[in-house]
Parts: sequence; C-alpha cells; structure tokens
Amino acid sequence: MEINACPRDSTTALSFPVATMPRLQGAYTELEQETLEFFVQFRRPVLRYVCGLGVTVHDGEEIAQEVFLALFRHLCCGQSRRNLRAWVFRVAHNLALKQRYADQKARGRTAGGEFSMETRIDPEMDPEERMVYLQRRFRLLAVVSALPEKDQCCLRLRAEGLRYREIARALNISLGAVSISLTRSLARLQSADRA
Amino acid sequence: MKHEPLHLSDEDLLLEAYGELSRRRSGQARAHLAECWSCRARMAELESTIAHFVRAHEASLDGQAPPDDGPRAMLAARLREARESDYATTPHPLFGGMSVQFAFGCLAIVFLLAGVGIWKIHGSVAARQDEATIAAINWNAVPDRNLTPGATRRLAASDVCASAPPQDWTVPATVRKRVLQEYGMAGAQARSYELDYLITPELGGANDVRNLWPEPYSATPWNAHVKDALEDRLHAMVCAGQMDLPSAQRDIATNWIAAYKKYFHTDKPIAGAST
Repeated sequence: MEINACPRDSTTALSFPVATMPRLQGAYTELEQETLEFFVQFRRPVLRYVCGLGVTVHDGEEIAQEVFLALFRHLCCGQSRRNLRAWVFRVAHNLALKQRYADQKARGRTAGGEFSMETRIDPEMDPEERMVYLQRRFRLLAVVSALPEKDQCCLRLRAEGLRYREIARALNISLGAVSISLTRSLARLQSADRA
Repeated sequence: MKHEPLHLSDEDLLLEAYGELSRRRSGQARAHLAECWSCRARMAELESTIAHFVRAHEASLDGQAPPDDGPRAMLAARLREARESDYATTPHPLFGGMSVQFAFGCLAIVFLLAGVGIWKIHGSVAARQDEATIAAINWNAVPDRNLTPGATRRLAASDVCASAPPQDWTVPATVRKRVLQEYGMAGAQARSYELDYLITPELGGANDVRNLWPEPYSATPWNAHVKDALEDRLHAMVCAGQMDLPSAQRDIATNWIAAYKKYFHTDKPIAGAST
C-alpha cells in the first residue's frame, strides 16, 4: 500500500511508498537528517549567492531556511534527486528575486547588496601587500557589480563550484549562454585586473 | 610549408580551465597549450583572475553570517514541525483512510464525552488533568538543549548594566504557540508554567524561539521563581565586575540548576533567595 506523504501544500501527486506509520516516521527522520546535512554543506554558499543578488544577510538566512524546507518537501514527495545542488540554487535564486522585489516595493528603491569590504586578511601580509590585495579585490567586485545580472549570477554560481550544466539548470538558460556569459565576464574581470 | 597553429579562444581556455571540454577536445587543448607560450600565458592570467575573484567572493560574508549551529537548530525545529503536521494529516490504514488528525479528533471527542461522564461520577477530572500537565512540565525544569540552546544579542556588560527604562519582553502569541508545540505541550494550562527565557534579556538573552522554554512554576524545587533569583544574582555579579557577561550567559544556558548551586553555594534552592 502506498501512502501519500507529500505535504498538503504540494501540488505534485507523487507518493512515498511506505506501508506503515512507524516506517513512514523512520523515512521522514532519514530525510530530515539528509536535509540537515545538505544545509550544513550549502548554507554559506546559498547565503553568499542570495546576498550577491542584493538581499540582506538577515533575509538571506530566512531564504536559506525556506530553501531547505522546500528541499525536505521535494525529497518527501520522492521527486528527482538528480542535480540537487542546481535545484537548491534555483529555488534560492527565485526566492531571492522575490524578496528583492518585495524590498524594492517596500522601500521604493533598489536594494543594495550587503557585501562588506571588511575581510579577514592574512596576518602575514605587510601593509603594502594588504593595500594591493584590497585594491584588487575592490576593483574585481566593482566590475562584477557592473555586469548584467545574468552574468553576475553565472559568475557567482561558478565561484560556488557549480558546473556549466548546473548553472544552466539553476538559471534556466542554455549551456551555450552560460559559456558565453562566463567568457564575457572573465574578459572584463581580466581587463580590470590588469589595470 | 609549416603553418603557425591557431590559438585557443578565450572560451576554449575557460572551458579547459573549468574541465568542461570533452575528453577529445581537452586532449587537443592540452597539446596546444604544451606548445604555445602565448596561450599558456593567457591561461595563467585567466586562472589568476579566477583565483582572485573566488577569494573575493568567498570573503564577501566574512564576519556577517553567524556560525551554522543556530540556523541548523532552527531548521531542525522547522523540519520537525513540518513532519508532525504532515504526519498528522497523512491518511492511515488503521483509521479506514481518515487522516491521523481527523481520527484523533474523533477519539478526543469520545474521550471528552467519557471524561464528562467520569467527572459527573467523581468530580475530579480537572484536578487529574492538572496533575498530568504538571507531571509533564516537570520534565522541563532544565530545557531540552536541542530545542532551547539559548540565543543572545550582541551586548556589552555596560549595556546590560545601564539603567535603561524597563522594556516589554512579552512573548508574542505565535512564538509562544511554537515553543509549546516543540515541547509537545500545546494543551498545557498557562498557570502551570512560565514561558521563560533561558538567558534572561537582562543578561543579553534574545527574544528568539531558541531561547524560550516552558518552565514549571511549582511541583519541583527547581522552578521559575528559583531561576529568577539566579538571574538577579548573575546580573548583580556582572554589574559589580565579579564575572564577565559571556561567562554568565554560558553558565545559565548550559545548566541553570548547576549554576544556581555554584553561585548560591547550596545544593537546594534557598527560600526567598535574592541578590
């Protein structure tokens, strides 16, 4: 016998093949554990990514929670486990855009990212090296923030270690578009880096 | 006549750097790079830029995001909540396909009717319910660390000792409900417990679900009144410079009963203890 374990708000009709309540509870516990492991692995990358889209760190934390609750529901419904990393970033991307839109509407202005120039700098660096490092960092981040949004997203997802096909899936664009975007962005970063 | 080999495009270099080329094309690109100094120099430049961007990107949250422990505990509580609500609404074969929630609702009505019958006979149902509730609450004289690890605001000792006007630390109804649900005490009577801050706001405790738990008023020597005395004692010690604020927060969050014994030098609560 199959028991539909999809949450009430799920629109999918897939079911979770369990026959008894203790087994259902056991399966839920395993999925909870799996979701928490994913959370520890991807919380910071997700947070960095959504903050790069102009969401505050506080809202970013809330988005990260929502993303992994959604992942739990996704897994409960027995849906595809292929490319979960891309799935996580896709949900995060959509929630971040929604949050940013709400912020813009509420404040009547464009929300700025919370990227801080404060950073942990290697204590071994001498003042000159530190200055060069900070200037280079500032230049690179300035170039990134001037890129079209799609290019910024591709670049940031690549920096989080996503492969081209994962980026394409997360942003719902073609593989070729990812390649062209990254090439264009890197060319701009390089010219700024040489300056 | 020997032709100069064509150079790799920026896109090819990038695909090679990211390991995105097919095995055949990657072999060709590597063979070309082995021969062509110009492309190798471009590749090195590209990799240097990528490395710097990745470092800058990874440093973008430095000092802004808290460690994983708190958010992980929060997610664990939310997952538990989601599981319980889904579990309650899942159709169960034993109840002929009715949801567990609906079936238990029916059972509750049956028990209620039976309870009213017993009450008419003995007149003591309410007292028994209170005893049962208090018995359940006694479990929580020290909070469950997984549910209530404690949470603080970023304050210095001078902030908590400043003579600011008293603030309203009333717990919102939604938060109260959530804490009681997490502790499986949704039906407990409000007069039996105090929804207490593990780390009191006077010591920098946060108004956060991770810092709240239902603490019994009575039926145990280690009750809410005793903890209030400890809170006053720790606050006085911090403000007198006898201990630092993080130590006070840590001691009360780890095990407030052990902290009471330590700072009051006693194994039993002192009647009418104060600072």
